[in-house]
Amino acid sequence: MSPALFQTLLVASLALCALGVAWRVAAWFRIRIGPDARIVTAWQRVRRVVVLVASSLFGPRGLRVLGAFCLDALLLRRLFANAPWRALAHLLVVSGFTLLVLTHALAPLVTARLVPGYQPTLEPWLFVRNLLGAMVLGGLVVLVVARWRARSRMGLPHRPRAALFAALLGIVLASGFLLEAHKIASPRAFHRMTDAFAGAADPSALASLRALWAREFGVAFDVHTDTVAADVTTAGRRLHEEACASCHAKPASAFVSWPLAKMIAPVAGTLDAVSADAWLLHLHLLACFAGLALLPFTTFLHVLAAPFSLLLDAAARHGTAPARPLPLAARATRRGLSVDACVRCAMCDLDCSVATLARHLDNRDLLPSHKLVSTRAAANPWRWDAMLRDARARADARRAADGAFLCTDCGRCTDRCPVGLDLADLWDAGRHDLAAAELPAPAAWVRQRPAIAWAESLANAGDRAALDVIDASRAPLAFDRRTFSRCVQCQTCTNVCPVVAHAMNADPRNAADQGVDLTPQKVMNLLRLGLPDLALGSRMVWDCATCYQCQEHCPEGIRVADIMCELRALSVQRLAAVRDMAEPS
Amino acid sequence: MKYALFLGCKIPSGLPAYEVSTRAVLGHLGVELVDLEFQCCGYPARNYDRDAFVVAATRNLALAERHALDVLTPCMCCFGTLRHAIRMMTEDAALRARVSRSLADDGLVWSGRARVQHVLPLLAREVGVDALKAAVRAPRTDLRLAAQYGCHALRPSEVTGIDNPIAPTIFESLIRATGAIPVEWPRRLDCCGDPSHEANAPLSGRMTRAKIVDARESGAEAICTACPHCHLRFDAAQAAEPAPAVRTLLVTQLLGVAMGLPSESLGLPHAESQRGVPMSWS
Repeated sequence: MSPALFQTLLVASLALCALGVAWRVAAWFRIRIGPDARIVTAWQRVRRVVVLVASSLFGPRGLRVLGAFCLDALLLRRLFANAPWRALAHLLVVSGFTLLVLTHALAPLVTARLVPGYQPTLEPWLFVRNLLGAMVLGGLVVLVVARWRARSRMGLPHRPRAALFAALLGIVLASGFLLEAHKIASPRAFHRMTDAFAGAADPSALASLRALWAREFGVAFDVHTDTVAADVTTAGRRLHEEACASCHAKPASAFVSWPLAKMIAPVAGTLDAVSADAWLLHLHLLACFAGLALLPFTTFLHVLAAPFSLLLDAAARHGTAPARPLPLAARATRRGLSVDACVRCAMCDLDCSVATLARHLDNRDLLPSHKLVSTRAAANPWRWDAMLRDARARADARRAADGAFLCTDCGRCTDRCPVGLDLADLWDAGRHDLAAAELPAPAAWVRQRPAIAWAESLANAGDRAALDVIDASRAPLAFDRRTFSRCVQCQTCTNVCPVVAHAMNADPRNAADQGVDLTPQKVMNLLRLGLPDLALGSRMVWDCATCYQCQEHCPEGIRVADIMCELRALSVQRLAAVRDMAEPS
Repeated sequence: MKYALFLGCKIPSGLPAYEVSTRAVLGHLGVELVDLEFQCCGYPARNYDRDAFVVAATRNLALAERHALDVLTPCMCCFGTLRHAIRMMTEDAALRARVSRSLADDGLVWSGRARVQHVLPLLAREVGVDALKAAVRAPRTDLRLAAQYGCHALRPSEVTGIDNPIAPTIFESLIRATGAIPVEWPRRLDCCGDPSHEANAPLSGRMTRAKIVDARESGAEAICTACPHCHLRFDAAQAAEPAPAVRTLLVTQLLGVAMGLPSESLGLPHAESQRGVPMSWS
């Protein structure tokens, strides 16, 4: 690669990387997740975060905060607690890669200046380079395997760009090792060097030098074209000492490339003939440049986002648990940062309280690592507009809403998160965004129409099949008229109902404080008459406190509260179906 | 006595004091608690999909069965939910077949062997009031408490069966064991209002407020609770007030203090004891 092309590509990929990082980092302060995030400006968020971090670090507990941050971000304390093997592998990748960049990629700027007489082909660099490369490659393999093994039964989130980036990293390492192996075994490389540094040497000494390099340095000479002496003579050794030794150590300590060189020895001449070294070098450099340019647009941006998230977490905890609530501007930033800091390690999914529900309902959006993505999508208004126009997107939105509202807020995901995300706060904000996008909790959206309007929608629904997917097995009590055959309409259920009693004191000035529409006895009577659709949209069904006074007191043993629960499940399914039909598509 | 401890979702996230005080008191009384990888009891899914609810609930019971343990929960809503799931599994053969297939994917089997128990009946019957009285070191004779039974452990009695649903006595017997005085309050069996809060906050607020006023007018210094949902609802309803009309006290905290356990082991640090325990104690 010509120096001009090299420099052009380097500058271009660096510029792309810098622009990408700036764009993504700006988004941490710009993205608004949760309606409350709209009342703080991006600039207020920047200022608040700077003040928060500075006051924590330079405050009375600054050392604790700094210590917590170092333990979490550099030594991966939280990851070690949950998955020690992954933490170890992660440390190998990070330390190996950082040192490779410093000692190898930036050798002219760093190593050559610090170490007089630096040559990449001398010890300890041969060994060090292989060690660092092996650390990165080994760690990467462990991480990929561990992630695959730790996938929840719902599968891994789809992330092609991250996979591409990981593949690029693999290509950089593989091409590096192969290039080194090829250079060790290559006769052409040997000839190029001897032409330059031992051109005037005696032919017999040169033949002896070849013998020495074939035996101890692994060069795979072609016996048909190269004269290789049978033994290494003193002249050959002297020539080596004079022309080669100052720059070349025996490569046997390159414990990856050396065995590789032995393996490719039989085809070393062929590789020379096709200029494999040039191809491998180009591949190595292009993969490096591509990776650099791509970095900000993949989950590997977490190299910046995760430490930032952990810094905010350490500030919130004041260095020690428990976390105190952060100001809104800082919380809004933490939410905006979450998607970039998350690497979809799916540790949260493994421990999720509703993982069984997620699987049974076949809804990935119940699982934190998937919900993170749909929560951010819900914060993007124009995307929601598109969703509400398109039927398939609407189904996606509905699934996201179900995921958000079936979450039990148990907080395990927040406790587990290795990058210190405040997921509990994120879910709460996300639910408010969903409510603002006309997708509130079922208890809220069912109330938006009176029971009779829902009943009319159900009666006039064009697509009956869509409604009848909900069969009697979901509500065996409500669908079975025998349940009510004993009901004498005595109204005991209504008389003992606290919802009915307290609704009588509803505040007429408060529009949200509505009285009872159908009493429990009326709901039972509609079911008795085989008219469940007239009861499904009733506010009573969702206002019910499930206190079981009605069921306990029913003189005929009718399971009134159990039936209310069945009606809720029915109304979620049937009313959602009829609502989707009613919306313009 | 050995149980798998089922904490549910609300206690770890909202009321950790209930977990630590339960562990401290039961440990002191010789009840061994085992932690299994439990998930949600299924309560939120009951309003969404009957099968999913029963699968979620039964998975926990099958897990306890695999370890040959019964399930003990301090949460009344988890208790009621798990008991309802058992009833549905027992009554409905078609449901049982569907749920069993789903559990088999996880290598789990439900046969109904694992019992579900709540902390209240465990203390009153299995440990026994006499054993509790014997363990009391610092009787709380000055304390008047309103026992909050909580609906989901009391009703429907054919499912929960912890006591007589019209005239229960076990909570009062526990309070008396500590030397404290259980007050008579007309609304003691009423709902705390928590389950209606999401659907209708004003209505739920009136239900909660009515109980708080009733407890105070009946002379209670604190409402004694045995469910995180009731406890947190009473706290939330009074959060905006400079001083709560009636304080809240977990039954396990009451017992722990009476048994002379250190307040840190009951989730009662100094600030908490100001809020959660009547002032006359300090």
